[in-house]
Amino acid sequence: MSLRQTISATTLGDRILLVSLILASCAGIVFIKDVLPNSGGVIIEVQGKPTHRYLLDQDRTVRVESPYGQLTVEIRGKRVRVIQASCQNKLCEHQGWVSHGAIICLPARISVSVGVPDKSGDKRIDATTG
Amino acid sequence: MMLPQDNYRIALLSAYAIALHAFESLIPMPIPWLRVGLANIIAITTFILFGFRSAMMVTLIRVILASLFSGSFLGPGFILSLGGGVSSMLAMGLVLSLVPGLFGPVGLSLIGALSHNLSQLFLAYLLFIQKIEPVLLITPFLILIGTITGTVNGLAADLLIKGLKNNQESIQNTRR
Repeated sequence: MSLRQTISATTLGDRILLVSLILASCAGIVFIKDVLPNSGGVIIEVQGKPTHRYLLDQDRTVRVESPYGQLTVEIRGKRVRVIQASCQNKLCEHQGWVSHGAIICLPARISVSVGVPDKSGDKRIDATTG
Repeated sequence: MMLPQDNYRIALLSAYAIALHAFESLIPMPIPWLRVGLANIIAITTFILFGFRSAMMVTLIRVILASLFSGSFLGPGFILSLGGGVSSMLAMGLVLSLVPGLFGPVGLSLIGALSHNLSQLFLAYLLFIQKIEPVLLITPFLILIGTITGTVNGLAADLLIKGLKNNQESIQNTRR
């Protein structure tokens, strides 16, 4: 009894099950990160020190102040933008929605990093939800 | 009703399963908890040739004795091993009684591997990890690996079953 005969003796049900399991698990590997909550964090730093941490999937509007100016940051739909900035050229406002990377407001010395897998942020949330 | 020859057979098959289980732990693996589950070849073979009860007995004996030999009895590995083994036997028994003939040894092995992995993930979540995100992240990987090893085990079991059917005398082991 050879291996080839054994493979050809598998039923149609066997083959359908095998193919669907492989497809389902590959799809799972690709898409599981999109389905999961807590996909990333938003860290707002004032003068190089992280002062605010938020989760990207929780919508909110935050007002951040530094000695040099202030920003209003909106988090919505896993993206971040600056609604209003106190500076002259409004570069950060014009940058629009950001889902990966950073928005940096040089005049106010505030930076907003988006999509950081932030462990300490997760821990903080875990502590509050139990 | 268990006849004496059933008990001889279960003892012999359990010994094969334990030997394969021990042999497998000698094979180096990139991830320590990753196993091919060679002992499941014996479980599937027993299930198809001698039925659900014998296969469940062989699985229980294998899990308990192998953990006693390796010193992990009642430890976390033992609980996961027991849960996986029992649930995969139950799933295979259920599928074969509900839709007999739809799946051959390979399909049954895949069902066993799937329920083995899912129940172990569930147990690990319930008892040890208690965070749903890492469990969900690892689930598709484990199912993919389980699908590959399940196919290999199923083919091996099919080969074994056909070899044994050609040679009935040697497996019955009822004469001494």
